[in-house]
Amino acid sequence: MGPQHPMTHGLWTLKVKVDGETVIDTEPDLGYIHRGVEKICEARDFTQITTYCDRLCYASANTWSHSYIYAVEDLLEVEVPERAEYIRLIAVELQRIASHLMWLGAYGPDTGNLSIMVWCLREREMMMDLLQELSGSRMHYNFPRVGGVKRDLPHGFAQRARAKVSLFLNRIQEYEALFDESTIFLIRTQGVGYAKPEEMVNHGVSGPNLRAGGVNYDVRRAHPYSVYSELDWEPPVERPSIKGADCYDRYRIRIEEMRISALMVLEALEKIPRGADTYHEPGDPAILAKAPSRAPEGTSGFHHFEDSRGESMFYLAGGGEARGKHPYRVSIRSPMFLTIPYASKCMIGYKVADIPAIMGSFDPCIGETDR
Amino acid sequence: MGHIVSTETQRSAAQDLAAAVSEMDGITAEVLERSSGTSPRNVVVVNCPPERWRVLAENLRNTQGVDYCSMITGIHWPEGGPEKNWEVIYHFLRMAVSDPPVIGGMVEPIITDPTKVGGIRVPLEIEVRINLPETREPSVASVQDIWVGADWNEKETWDLVGIDFEGHVGMRRVLQPHETPTGFHPLQKQHKLRYHDFEEMYDDAQGFLRKPSDSGKIK
Repeated sequence: MGPQHPMTHGLWTLKVKVDGETVIDTEPDLGYIHRGVEKICEARDFTQITTYCDRLCYASANTWSHSYIYAVEDLLEVEVPERAEYIRLIAVELQRIASHLMWLGAYGPDTGNLSIMVWCLREREMMMDLLQELSGSRMHYNFPRVGGVKRDLPHGFAQRARAKVSLFLNRIQEYEALFDESTIFLIRTQGVGYAKPEEMVNHGVSGPNLRAGGVNYDVRRAHPYSVYSELDWEPPVERPSIKGADCYDRYRIRIEEMRISALMVLEALEKIPRGADTYHEPGDPAILAKAPSRAPEGTSGFHHFEDSRGESMFYLAGGGEARGKHPYRVSIRSPMFLTIPYASKCMIGYKVADIPAIMGSFDPCIGETDR
Repeated sequence: MGHIVSTETQRSAAQDLAAAVSEMDGITAEVLERSSGTSPRNVVVVNCPPERWRVLAENLRNTQGVDYCSMITGIHWPEGGPEKNWEVIYHFLRMAVSDPPVIGGMVEPIITDPTKVGGIRVPLEIEVRINLPETREPSVASVQDIWVGADWNEKETWDLVGIDFEGHVGMRRVLQPHETPTGFHPLQKQHKLRYHDFEEMYDDAQGFLRKPSDSGKIK
């Protein structure tokens, strides 16, 4: 199946061995859009790399550039102003909602429900409007800066964000009604593609896929970064069946996550230091700290980050070309790179027709997988 | 608010792990305090000679409860001297995740309260560094059978950096095409990035006439 197949959500091949209609063995084949981002980054300034990180995943650009920025700040030892951390949190959580909406919109057609796609893209547009107000761009934001953010919250942003996020919280109920009462959707997802938490951790699967298995492990909670520890929130957890988490659990967990993210945005708008209505000019020390541009040889920085699809991470070694202005080595940990092989194993024993439902439920993104 | 592992708990857990690992032959470990955003974090950094890596890995997995292999990074240091020509860096997380129990036929989700965890259930970040001597065929023991998550990471590290993993079953190209020439690993430092100048980009936008400046040379 693939590289061109509706199941793949990208460009990769799944080699399937079948016995009649039953899948007995699978092997994924990746690398179709390997662009060599890690090598390119070795010849770029630390500030230039953010742009490349945005392009790792078009559905979740902001989380990737933030993931990189935290690693750079670990490398260069930069202290970020608290207001900037709150703005970043708002941007990342809005992006998480947009990414999950993109997933839900794509998963509907996978499981025989076409109208949900248009509904989800409608709400995703609201999130992208908000992010566009923040960053000036629609898909690839290039929003965070080493030491802070590009711009402060614009005038009236808080009001519009509250209105849109509250409207979105109501609309989630519509999705639930559309999905949870659709017999076709339930038949295709319930009891299909079981995954056990211990097995997932051993295989390197994390994020929503892991929490669907009834474990409340979340990098934002276990290794708190940014200001996640200041907000009042709990990672959502599903109650799986005895065999493990099925596709339906993985759908439920993303619905809950969108809800939690929306509530986090609302809370962060309340708690942001000096209020959400204050505006600082770009470059103001309240939103952007001074950062060195060179990293000496022998230094390294890394940061575990909760991406929309699991734990992402950058490892940076300092002391590259241009007297330390470039990193010597950039290494990217993509959650989907390890999830796709595991998801392929989950399919064994099910029918060929279940493959799109199982693969789609893990939320694959090939841009970040192939890098 | 603040349902997080306290810094003291994390620090003492990190020190416990570092002390336990340091007792092994030839292995040194220390706890580094780094900051992320507003909160400090404690990272265990372990230096391990390549021949002791299997023993350390088994100890980490079976005694210390390190259950999640996050990433494997290979670095080529052509000017690093005879002792450190190649470096392999492993990043682990201790997640302490187990399957939820079944009570009365129903699965009961595990809601861990991070403020109450202790012992080997405290979440930790672990970094293991292995220096490899100067050689044309760097290799280190595979841990594919200990953490399945290391499987594809090792494939990727071999594919891009060219560090081989002894005992790895089913090594193959993952990100590069299958027909890539043997011995070509793009993240080794002898392969330089090439730039095309301004005119070249306009005269030949599709790049059909372009030839790499080092074509014909043995790589």
